[in-house]
Amino acid sequence: MMTEERRLIQETAEDFTRREVLPLADRLDSEKGDIPDSLIEKMGALGFFGILIPKEMGGMGLGVYEYCLVAEALSRGWMSVGSLLARGNGFYKRVPGDKARREERVKAMARGEYLGAYAISEPQAGSDVAGIECRAKREGAEWVITGNKYWCTFADRADFIYVIARTGAGEAGRRHLGLTGISLEKERGGFPEGLTGEPIPKIGYFGWKTWELRFDGARTSYENAGEEGRAFYSLAEDFAVMRAHTAARAIGLARGALEDALAYAQAREQFGRPIGSFQAIRFKLAKMSSEVAAARALLYETCAAMDGGGDMAVMAARAKYVASEMAERVSSEALQILGGAGYTTLHSVERYWRDSRLTKIFEGSSEIMLRIVSDSLLGRGGD
Amino acid sequence: MKILVPIKRVVDYNVRVQVKPSGSVDLDNVKMSMNPFDEIAVEEAIRLKEQNKAKEIIAISIGPAQASETIRTALAMGADKGILVQSPERLEPLNVAKILKAIADKEKPDLIILGKQAIDDDCNQTGQMLAALLNWPQGTFASKLELNGDSITVTREVDGGLQTLALKRPAIITTDLRLNEPRYATLPNIMKAKKKPIEQTTPESYGINPAPRLEILETLPPKEREGGVKVESIKELVEKLRSEAGIL
Repeated sequence: MMTEERRLIQETAEDFTRREVLPLADRLDSEKGDIPDSLIEKMGALGFFGILIPKEMGGMGLGVYEYCLVAEALSRGWMSVGSLLARGNGFYKRVPGDKARREERVKAMARGEYLGAYAISEPQAGSDVAGIECRAKREGAEWVITGNKYWCTFADRADFIYVIARTGAGEAGRRHLGLTGISLEKERGGFPEGLTGEPIPKIGYFGWKTWELRFDGARTSYENAGEEGRAFYSLAEDFAVMRAHTAARAIGLARGALEDALAYAQAREQFGRPIGSFQAIRFKLAKMSSEVAAARALLYETCAAMDGGGDMAVMAARAKYVASEMAERVSSEALQILGGAGYTTLHSVERYWRDSRLTKIFEGSSEIMLRIVSDSLLGRGGD
Repeated sequence: MKILVPIKRVVDYNVRVQVKPSGSVDLDNVKMSMNPFDEIAVEEAIRLKEQNKAKEIIAISIGPAQASETIRTALAMGADKGILVQSPERLEPLNVAKILKAIADKEKPDLIILGKQAIDDDCNQTGQMLAALLNWPQGTFASKLELNGDSITVTREVDGGLQTLALKRPAIITTDLRLNEPRYATLPNIMKAKKKPIEQTTPESYGINPAPRLEILETLPPKEREGGVKVESIKELVEKLRSEAGIL
């Protein structure tokens, strides 16, 4: 339900996007520039990184609903900025350090001053999380991490990297039982000893670098690990929030594409009148706006259910599937409405189109989402 | 020191306003927000409070029940309390000024900061009328405001350049675009705003009949802009200015 408070949060996020995010995106995306620190500071001052952090830990103590409202609004400008949110917020559970330092760092996270990066996927382990091979071995009071990680966005600029590593073999047929989540402390802007990396050449999602990382004896304190062998289950809890967040990002992109196409259709004239007066274009826009509205309704129903408690993995999977597939269709149609202009980097629509393509892949591909939903309908299927 | 800041709920500045075939402005499903000049007024009041030059900021909105949303935005920015004067009528500047005078008589503020005009009807009258009704000095179109004890220095943007006035408080200030850049309501402040009070009143409670005195005969969209032409020489330009544009 849209309360007054939520409306104000959404207004702030939309206003911020219009004034700060969009102009940056339009300038930096085409030159593959980095999101400036100053933007992260401003987001921190507004409280965007502490939405999901409990009040007593220095955050806002709000829910997935508010988190998604902000992510949607920011992604309407630039998905990478909507994604930045996840480097704080729910990540507070992974913050490294002893009790006192962790408390300080979580407070700093709520202000955007202490942010993390994920290192989960590997060259040979994408959807198959249980297939992770990167290893961590205990040596005295430390973990020593060795192996390769892939798709580690923001790893260079983060204050810590949350690595899922194999600390045991697991049982026969239950490989996922050998995985542990370990937070590696590091300096912002570089990599610590025992860690090197290369940026992956992507076709979108610019504004930050996504890294292939090589851990070769990187060390972190033994206390910086979650429960040994339980990372798979711990991650599964995060996945529902990540998927709702991805649905919100997809919807933001679709809204951007729709709004731009709508404005273009009213301004662009062909055959002596605006192309928005032709039924072919009008119906396209009507379908696009209906699709966005349907995905939004599903997402926020999902958010409300998630905030109400309970395991919403299936609802989140549905919302992520519907929203990301919708976003690719809607942004592609928007590009079609802009015609040749849409196929240039002079308009933002191509960015929405490129970025929306990714929403079908990351945080669990559409195929994995369908697997989750179909398993809930029919019981676990074969492969 | 107490500051009153009247704020108006208007069609958002990003909305492309359309005229209905029935001859009125289409307000169905249109995003509404605080008049941008009023946002500047709220911001200026908050800055004075931050400089310890003001103690209390009261945001007032006159309009439909939804105008409480606009007040809540001001509270989330940093105002202390709100007054909603609920009125279903189309409000004209003189009626607004009379209601504001009644509130000023009761609240006894030191300063009333208003937007110089609202972006819906662009009247640019309320501040001036209110100054007349209260018999207070006014500094309109302010681009700079300084408070020193009882005296107020206002820099105004006027046609010929900048004019600086010294006023004694209590006074009326109306804001121009360059006075400041309004802040965003931060999430922590949005949460705090929930607990701030909004007093509900009506024009009638101040003894004012809000019925409009002006009748709207017609609403027309602005004339479509025609494309320009390129001229070859200064001579041709001057000729066109003389013969076609009728400027020279």
